[in-house]
Amino acid sequence: MDWIQRWSRRIAHFFRRAAVEREMDEEMRHHVESEIADRIARGMAPDEARRTALIAFGGVERFKEEGRDARWGRLLGDLSQDLRIGLRTLRRNPGFTAGSVLTFALGIGAATAIFSVVYGVALRPLPYTDPARLVTLWERDTSHGGGVNVVAVPNFEAWRDRSGAFSGMAALVPQSATLMGAGQPERASGALISPGYFALLGVPPAMGREFTPEEGENGGADVVMLSDAFWRRRFGGDPSVVGKTVMIGGRAHAIVGVMPRTFEPPSFFWLGQQDLWFPFGATAGNRSWGRFLLVVARLRPGVTLNQARDEMARLARQRAAEDPTDRGWSVTAVGLGQEITGDVRASLFVVLAAVGLLLLMAMVNVAALTLAFARRREHEYAVRRAIGATRPRLLRQLLTQSGLLGIVGGAVGLVTALWGVRALVLLLPTDTPRLTSIHVDLPVLLFTLGGVLLATLVFGGAGVTGSTRGVQALHRGSPGRVTSGRGAGTLVVTEIAFGLVLSVCATLMVRSWVALRAVDLGFSTQGVVAARIALSGGDRYATPDQQRAFFAGLLDQIRALPGVRTASVMSIRPFGGPGPATSVADPAQPLAAGSVPPVTDVRVIDPALFSTLQIPLLAGASFDSRQAPGAPPGVIVNRALVRALGFPVDGAVGRRVALDMYGGITPRIVGIVGDIHLMDQRTSPRPTAYLSAVQFPSTQADLIVRGDGDPGRLLAAVQASVALLDRGIPVYDGAPLGQVIDSSLARDRFTTLLLSGFALVALLLAAVGVYGVFAGEVARRRREMGIRLALGAPAGMVVRLIVRQGIGRAALGITLGAGVALLLVRPMVPIMFGITPTDPASFAGVAILLLGVAFLATAVPALVAARVSPLEVIRAE
Amino acid sequence: MLDAQPDLLQGTLDLLILKTLEPGPLHGWAISKQIQLTSRDLLTVNQGSLYPALYRLEDRGWIRGATSVSAQGRRVRAYHLTGAGRRQLGREVETWRRFASAMQYVLATP
Repeated sequence: MDWIQRWSRRIAHFFRRAAVEREMDEEMRHHVESEIADRIARGMAPDEARRTALIAFGGVERFKEEGRDARWGRLLGDLSQDLRIGLRTLRRNPGFTAGSVLTFALGIGAATAIFSVVYGVALRPLPYTDPARLVTLWERDTSHGGGVNVVAVPNFEAWRDRSGAFSGMAALVPQSATLMGAGQPERASGALISPGYFALLGVPPAMGREFTPEEGENGGADVVMLSDAFWRRRFGGDPSVVGKTVMIGGRAHAIVGVMPRTFEPPSFFWLGQQDLWFPFGATAGNRSWGRFLLVVARLRPGVTLNQARDEMARLARQRAAEDPTDRGWSVTAVGLGQEITGDVRASLFVVLAAVGLLLLMAMVNVAALTLAFARRREHEYAVRRAIGATRPRLLRQLLTQSGLLGIVGGAVGLVTALWGVRALVLLLPTDTPRLTSIHVDLPVLLFTLGGVLLATLVFGGAGVTGSTRGVQALHRGSPGRVTSGRGAGTLVVTEIAFGLVLSVCATLMVRSWVALRAVDLGFSTQGVVAARIALSGGDRYATPDQQRAFFAGLLDQIRALPGVRTASVMSIRPFGGPGPATSVADPAQPLAAGSVPPVTDVRVIDPALFSTLQIPLLAGASFDSRQAPGAPPGVIVNRALVRALGFPVDGAVGRRVALDMYGGITPRIVGIVGDIHLMDQRTSPRPTAYLSAVQFPSTQADLIVRGDGDPGRLLAAVQASVALLDRGIPVYDGAPLGQVIDSSLARDRFTTLLLSGFALVALLLAAVGVYGVFAGEVARRRREMGIRLALGAPAGMVVRLIVRQGIGRAALGITLGAGVALLLVRPMVPIMFGITPTDPASFAGVAILLLGVAFLATAVPALVAARVSPLEVIRAE
Repeated sequence: MLDAQPDLLQGTLDLLILKTLEPGPLHGWAISKQIQLTSRDLLTVNQGSLYPALYRLEDRGWIRGATSVSAQGRRVRAYHLTGAGRRQLGREVETWRRFASAMQYVLATP
């Protein structure tokens, strides 16, 4: 490869160019001296010989210059010269340099930081073998138009045994457990998993082995696998932990394996943090529990997601024919990646689009700065063209200069991004999927590099169009008389349009956020705290009587605490995630053939719950001594359930409802309470049935306590009461209920905060950009203004002239921006609440705001123009 | 004379330098003297433009310069042909011959 050798020679020469220069010097001096000696030898006088030899040799510098060109190529030489000129120019114009670098750094920094979050959460491939082939399988309640639903055991077994589209299928159930032994009892969360699940993901354990199929039989053996973090924290990273036993929920479990540190367990739906895994196995019992499984499967090579969906639909029809409880249900498959990041995707991509716009605005601003800068130097460039600089040569020099700006801006931006990513991770809701995989790495750096390159071309391009038009600029006369205003107007329109788009998005998010916050939840969180407990300790809490007795004693004790007003238990606290739900019917009225019964959420409570959460009792009474253990069960229903059953509110008490739970019960309605938002603010309250904790005791519940004073102290007192009864019972997830509700909005808060921040920066950029353009315009038209004033134009007219121009351009920008915004807000629909994306008030408000910004940004330079002294201007010519 | 018409026959100087270096290494001044001598004073190489030509040939990889110390104890840079330079010389001589005979035919035509 000739050219490789040649270029390596050139580069080598370039880097030792001081030595090369000296060699050239020496060589040429030697030549001249030899020539002189030769001439003397031929009889010339020494002085004459020297003079003629020098003349004969010619211009040493020119030959050296040609020599340099030959030595390291013109490009390298020019580049180093351009870099020197560029650095000098930038140093001599600190205002321009600082403005460009800061604007650019802000844009590229914000964009890089946001991109690293989006990449980490939504784009980085999942850390499993061939993750694109992993899917989740769901049942769908098609007769109710329901979304995805968890899966019943018999259906899972049928799919696993009969489908041909998958090379493997595993079921998961969230499972938390209490660890006993040395130290405090500890509540840890995890999952029951089908043996073979980790092999399905393609992640083998770091130590030990995965569960064997035998361990999954008969409901699962007493074996456990640990996460790396849990192994380090609880077992001090003991390398011989595999094979040891640990007491979990009162039973000795053998530790069979530890997962690697890099393992990111898929968390979706109700699977959260996972530190422990137990084997899952089907039993006669859990086959009749209804739907509760999560299912992950791997597509066989060559099978597409749609083919799998078709096969599953066929299997669902088979199952519906076999089992009446599967009538009206179908199956759907969703990619695992989409399932994990599904609901954050929308808001993340909105934020990414917004930051992209911000970056564009920053570039437009820098382009405006460069254009103004280049225009001031148009005369200089024209002179350089006139005395022989070629156009490509000037272009190269300008591009080098903007490349320097890009590199410096990119470096500052990268530092901003590193800092910003850290801030964003803190700001992100803690339940954001894949939070740990967010960091600045190669793909993110490539993104930044792309931004720098693009920006360099934009800056350079802007400077070039304005500055190398050439010699004709000289014809226009003295410097500063150049009259072209093209480009500047476009920039103003663009800035205003982008500013409008971002501000509209932010306004919509803020109004949506306000609407979410204003939702009446139907209950009060004032002074309420919640904490979860799980009874564990072998057979001490095995029977319903033992469980009932414990909770009764505990509630008595908590109610006696100073500062406690009311105390209650609830199977799952409001906003505490999905809970059991079942179909419900009026037993007096057999279901019409083909129709499908409504579904209700079911919560098991202590009757004090309604006073604790201040949920109004609309009819009937709360639970009392009549709902004793063993007595016929009672139920309290909410208004939505009454409506779903078609009962009249004032005639519903005393009627029976059939619930498909606990093997089918038909409790009598004892009371009707107001609707509450049990899961979130967005969906309207769902039918809910409350059963008595006395009649349906269990080992797990949330304590819901209302008190006066500091919630932290209240929680500590509750914890102490539990410990007083049994030191072995862990109290966890303690928090003020208001905080639980707030954190459910963390994602909306994140999006709203970021978009508002972007909108503020965008408004600032727009203001600065428009001001800059008009300040330049006024400077350019100084002479014209002077003449107008000298000829008697009133100062007010001059101001109006400029402001009118500004407002005109702003109006155009607003119109264009509104059009773009109408298109861009469409993807925001899923994350908005209580507001239409085309909300006219938001659009109008933002339009007025931007007109105001444009007015201020043009009025200031206009006032400066009106103060021009006509005499001074005309004399200056 | 070559230096009077620098644009005349681009590449001629390259050929002259390569040919002059064929017998063995020479330094810059000696190359110009040698060309003058062998052309019987018909060609005088513009001494200054010799060096850019030398650097260009070195850049192409046809000749290589090496610094050595002369008998008078001075550092002198002498150039020698490389293998590629020798092949190039062969090609250029061939080209030149064809060109010269073509010129002959053209000029001989009445």
